[in-house]
Amino acid sequence: MINLLEKLSPEECPKLVHLVADEVCGRRGPRRSDFSDRWSLSEWMDLMNSLSSFIRFAVGRGCTDQEVRELLSDLDTARTEAVLQCVRSRHDEIRHALVDRTNAISSTHLQDFNWQIKLALSSDKLSALNTPLLNLSLDLKDNGTQRSKNIEMNKEELQTLISALEAANKVMQS
Amino acid sequence: MRFRFCGDLDCPDWVLAEISTLARVSSVKMKLLCVQVIKDLLDEGIDYEKVSKLTSDAKFESGDVKASIGVLSFILSSAAKHDVDGESLSSELQQLGLPKEHTTGLCKSYEDKHNALQEKLRESSLRLGHLEAVNWRVDYTLSSSELKEVNEPTVQLRLQAQNPETDSIETTVVSITADKFRVLLTELKQAQAIMNSLQ
Repeated sequence: MINLLEKLSPEECPKLVHLVADEVCGRRGPRRSDFSDRWSLSEWMDLMNSLSSFIRFAVGRGCTDQEVRELLSDLDTARTEAVLQCVRSRHDEIRHALVDRTNAISSTHLQDFNWQIKLALSSDKLSALNTPLLNLSLDLKDNGTQRSKNIEMNKEELQTLISALEAANKVMQS
Repeated sequence: MRFRFCGDLDCPDWVLAEISTLARVSSVKMKLLCVQVIKDLLDEGIDYEKVSKLTSDAKFESGDVKASIGVLSFILSSAAKHDVDGESLSSELQQLGLPKEHTTGLCKSYEDKHNALQEKLRESSLRLGHLEAVNWRVDYTLSSSELKEVNEPTVQLRLQAQNPETDSIETTVVSITADKFRVLLTELKQAQAIMNSLQ
């Protein structure tokens, strides 16, 4: 399927391959309209899937340049080099994305988080409350479905959380 | 008339009315009654048997007992809520017609427990979710179908927090990559520094 790349001029090839790599890394990928009507919709889907799988495979398996060239033997040299160049130059970034994907296997994983500090001034119970509170919002992703979890903590609860995380961090650094 | 212990508002009519009920018990017994009511406010448990003994001399009916507990609860919690000092509370209660010996006893008990009462009110103030417990585990991923050699640590974190809508404890389990984990910890420490600088 990857030989569908032959429909694209060798000059345009790196652009498309890099956009696919962007998609692997979680950013916006290529749009079919940007590459006019070279491919039918199903051809486009096939090409996207095979390019994306190839990039992930090459980095994930730690293929050498020689192995990449062999795997792409269907393509001509210019296009092979475009793919190889992309895989090589963006190796660290793609690897990082693969670590994230590994982490997402069979578990809810953290996508992003945000926090906010508020000073609670007064309540129905106490007119001068003056208690700082931290709102932690965790964006979780679970098999493609996204949800968020909010936790409100006072100073003591935050200390509990930080102590636990520090203990875990110590283990990770060793 | 506006009263500080009522949050600079008028004293509610029912409080005004029940102050005369309070005046019917002796000042010593009223002080002991205050001790019981404060125990109730602090969730330490009120001894109703003792309360009925304390009020038996004054020939209180059960309605009077309830009213006196109610009015003392109101006075003590409202004074603590608005952070009124004992002296001001004493003078305001005298203005409302409570005898001086009674106010002295009441204010003595109030002053003794002023901080504890405020702490209790602070604790019971509305909170939208408490963090109850944190458990963690550090895993070292060796290999996966995505990546042959991963060799990266990940943190499995289990947070137990109260859901403010249902009041039940909800458990969240999340796995965090090493990079994100470090960012999370660093930012939480920054937040903690800001919180500490507030007090």
